[in-house]
Amino acid sequence: MTETNQTIISLKHMQKAYGDHQVLKDINVDINKGEIVTIIGPSGGGKSTTLRCINLLEQPTGGEIDFHGENILAPGYDLNDYRAKVGMVFQQFNLFNNLDVLSNCMVGQELVLKRSKDEAKKIALENLKKVGMEPFIKAKPSQLSGGQQQRVAIARAISMDPEVLLFDEPTSALDPEMVGEVLEVMKKLATTGLTMIIVTHEMAFARDISDQVLFVADGIITEAGEPDQIFNHPQNEKLQKFLRNFRANSL
Amino acid sequence: MKSKIRMIAVMALFTLLMVLGLTNNQSQVEAASDSGTLKIGMEANYPPYNWTQTTSANGAVKIDGSKQYANGYDVQIAKLIGKYLHKNVVVEKTEWDGLLPALTSGKIDLIIAGMSPTAERRKQINFSNPYRKSSFVVIVNKDSKYAKAKTLNSFKGAKLTAQQGTLHYNLIKQLKGAVRENAMKDFSAMRQSLQSGTIDGYVAEDIEYLSYKRVNRNITAINISKMKGFKVSKSDSITSIGVKKSNTKLLAQVNQALATISTKKRNQLMATAVKQQPKAGSSQTSAEKSQPWLVKTWKQYGNMILGGVGMTLLLALVGTIAGFFIGLVVGIIRTIPTPTTAGKKAFLKVVNWLLAVYVEVFRGTPMMVQAAVIYYGIAQLWHINLNRTVAALVIVSINTGAYLAEVIRGGIISTPEGQFEAASALGMTHNQRMWHIILPQAIRNCLPSITNEFIVNIKDTSVLSIISVSELFFVGSTVASQTFEFFPTYFIISVIYLILTFTITRIFNLIEKKLAGPKNYNLMANQIQVGNPEDEVK
Ligand SMILES: Nc1ncnc2c1ncn2[C@@H]1O[C@H](COP(=O)(O)OP(=O)(O)OP(=O)(O)O)[C@@H](O)[C@H]1O
Ligand SMILES: [Mg+2]
Repeated sequence: MTETNQTIISLKHMQKAYGDHQVLKDINVDINKGEIVTIIGPSGGGKSTTLRCINLLEQPTGGEIDFHGENILAPGYDLNDYRAKVGMVFQQFNLFNNLDVLSNCMVGQELVLKRSKDEAKKIALENLKKVGMEPFIKAKPSQLSGGQQQRVAIARAISMDPEVLLFDEPTSALDPEMVGEVLEVMKKLATTGLTMIIVTHEMAFARDISDQVLFVADGIITEAGEPDQIFNHPQNEKLQKFLRNFRANSL
Repeated sequence: MKSKIRMIAVMALFTLLMVLGLTNNQSQVEAASDSGTLKIGMEANYPPYNWTQTTSANGAVKIDGSKQYANGYDVQIAKLIGKYLHKNVVVEKTEWDGLLPALTSGKIDLIIAGMSPTAERRKQINFSNPYRKSSFVVIVNKDSKYAKAKTLNSFKGAKLTAQQGTLHYNLIKQLKGAVRENAMKDFSAMRQSLQSGTIDGYVAEDIEYLSYKRVNRNITAINISKMKGFKVSKSDSITSIGVKKSNTKLLAQVNQALATISTKKRNQLMATAVKQQPKAGSSQTSAEKSQPWLVKTWKQYGNMILGGVGMTLLLALVGTIAGFFIGLVVGIIRTIPTPTTAGKKAFLKVVNWLLAVYVEVFRGTPMMVQAAVIYYGIAQLWHINLNRTVAALVIVSINTGAYLAEVIRGGIISTPEGQFEAASALGMTHNQRMWHIILPQAIRNCLPSITNEFIVNIKDTSVLSIISVSELFFVGSTVASQTFEFFPTYFIISVIYLILTFTITRIFNLIEKKLAGPKNYNLMANQIQVGNPEDEVK
C-alpha cells in the first residue's frame, strides 16, 4: 500500500503494556488530513490509551506512529514540536488553575510557539469568541461551569493551530444540559478542515459527525468503517452486542 | 534498606568531619593573634570576674559585635596584659561551654573568664600562672540550719548545687550526705534558687559571697577550704588564663605580663570589681526605686531589647526567604522525572541521594547542635572566622531549606496530574511546565506551611544563643541575669515573641488572600463596555 500525501497520522502495530498487562495489542489505522475519526467501544477497551499514546502522554511499548510519514518514536524526533501540532482536550478539562481564561489560551502560544503577547492575545480572543467564552476572559477556571471550562479548553487547544486535535470523552464529565453546547462547538470545528480524533460515548453525535468510526475492544480495532456501516450494518459480534446494550440503556 | 544506607552515609560524613577536625588540630596556626588585637573570651556574665554593661563606664571594654560593654576583674587584667603586649583588647562574649572550643578553633586568643586550670582542661589547652587564688565556700541563707556547719559532714540532707561544668559542682561530693541538685547555668540562677528556697545552698568561691552579700544581707558563707579532710588540688583553687596549646609564644608573654601585676594591685582590682559589679536594688536612688519595674528596665535596656527584636526578625526573615529558595531548588531537583539516557540517570541519582542526605541530616538534628558544629567546625577546619551574625543567618537558612524542600516537594507532587498532562499536550518543556504551571500552584498551596516555618524560625532562633548571637532570647537572659528579675523579664520577652508571631501570621494571611485573586470577575459581555484601554489598542 502506498502512502498518499493525504495520510497525516498512521498507527502501525502500535502496542502498549503496563507490566504484564497488554492493554493495546495491535493497533493499525491510517487517518487522513481533515478527517473526523471517532473511537467507540466498551469501558477498559483501550480507547483512552490509544489517544494518550498518539500524543505520547504514554510511551507505546511497540509499533510505530507515523506523522506525515515520519516515525515519531525514532530517536531524535522533536517531541515538543510534535505535541504542539497535536492538541488534546481532556475529559476533566485540565485548565490551568493558576491562570485566568485568557492566559490559559495564551500561555502555550507564547512559550511553545514563541508568539508575541499581542499576537497570542488576538488569537486567543478570536478562538474564545468562536466557543462563546469571550465574556469570561478574566475568570478563573474554578469560577466556571463544566461546559464553560471545556469550551475554554477547546479554545486553548485550537489557539495552538494544531494539525490534529484529540478529544478524550470531552462531554462525559458534564451535566446533561451542558453536553449540547460542547458538541455544538465541536461540530463547528469539524467543518474547518481540522483533523479530529474523538473518543466518545455519544453515539448519535459520532454517527452524524464522523468520516470514519473505529470500534476498539480488548486492545485492538475490532471493526472500522463509515458510520453507516458501523451503526447500521455491524459485522462483529462484540460490536453488535455493544450497540444493543447501548440502545437498551439510552432508551 | 534505602534509609539504612542513608544513615550509614550520614554517620560516615560525621566521622569524616571529626577526623578532619582532629588531624587539623595539630597543624593549627595562630589564628587571630597576628593582628593588633587580642581577642579575649569570657561569659561577661560572671561577676565580679566579668559582666556586661550598657555603657563604657569604669574602663569597660566593647563587646565584639554588639553595642554592649564588658567589665570586671578579668577585663581589667586583660587590659593590663593588652597594654603590656601593645595590643588592643576585644571581648568575645562566649557561653561557658563554648569557651574551650572557641579557643582551640582560634576564634579567641585567650580565655580570661575566672577559669580554673583543671587537669582535664589542661589536656586541651595551656594555662598561664594564676592571676587569682581563692577559697571555696557554701553559700546559704542565714536562717538555714546549715548556716552553722562546722565539718564536711554537717551538710547531711542539704540540697546543694553549683555552676554547670565547674569544679564547684564536683566538690559537693565531698560534703557527706548532701543532695546534689542539677547544676545551674550561672550565679544569677543559683541566687534566685537560694532566695526562693528551691535549694539550701550552693558551692562557689569566696568572691561570689563578697559580691552577693552586698546585695542580699540574709546570706552567709561557710568556708569549706579549711575543713578537715577537704581535698582540692592546688590548680583548682586558682584561676588562670587559657592559651591555645600551639601558641607557646603568647603563653610566655602572658606570664611575663602577669609578673608585672603585684598582689596588692590584684586585690585592689578585685575589690573595685566587687564594688562596681551590677547588683539589684542597692545602688538605686529612691526616685528610681519608686518607678515601676517595667519603666525602669525599659529605660535601661529598651534599646538592647529592641536590638534583640531586630536581630530575631532579621534571622527569621532572611532565614525563611533564603531557606525558601534553597527548598525550591532542592524540591524541584528531587521531582525531576527520570531521564532516559543512562549517564544523566546516574548523575541525577547521585544528586538526589546527596540532597536526601542533606534533608535528613538537617531535619534530623537540633538546630542548636548544627549551629555549634558549623560555627566552631568551620573555624577549626578552615581557619575561617565567621562573623556570628553571618553564621547564624547561614545556619537558619540551611535548616529552613531542609524543611521547606520537603514542603515544596509535597506541593509539587500534590498538584493534579492533569495539570502536567495539559501542559505536556501543549508541547511545553519540563522547565516551562514547572515555572509557569506547576510551581505557581504548588507554592500557593505551600504558603501556609511557609508561614508556619517563619513563625517557628522566630521562636527557634533562640537556640542560636549557643553561638552568642544577640537575638531576643539572648538579650532577655542577659537582662535577667543583670537585673535578677527572672520572671518579669522572661514574661516580657514572651509577650514580645507573641506580638511578633501574631503580627506575622496576620500579614501572611493577607498575602494569601491577595494571591487567591479577586472573588469576582467582570463579565466582558460587551467590548465597548470594557473600559480597559489596553484591550482596545489593537
Ligand atoms: N497507568 C496504568 N497502569 C496500568 N493499567 C492501566 C493504566 N492505565 C490504563 N490501564 C488499563 O488499560 C486498560 C484500558 O484503559 P483505557 O483507559 O484505555 O480504557 P477506555 O477504553 O478509555 O475505557 P473508558 O471508556 O472506561 O474510559 C484498562 O484495563 C486499564 O485498567
Ligand atoms: Mg477512557
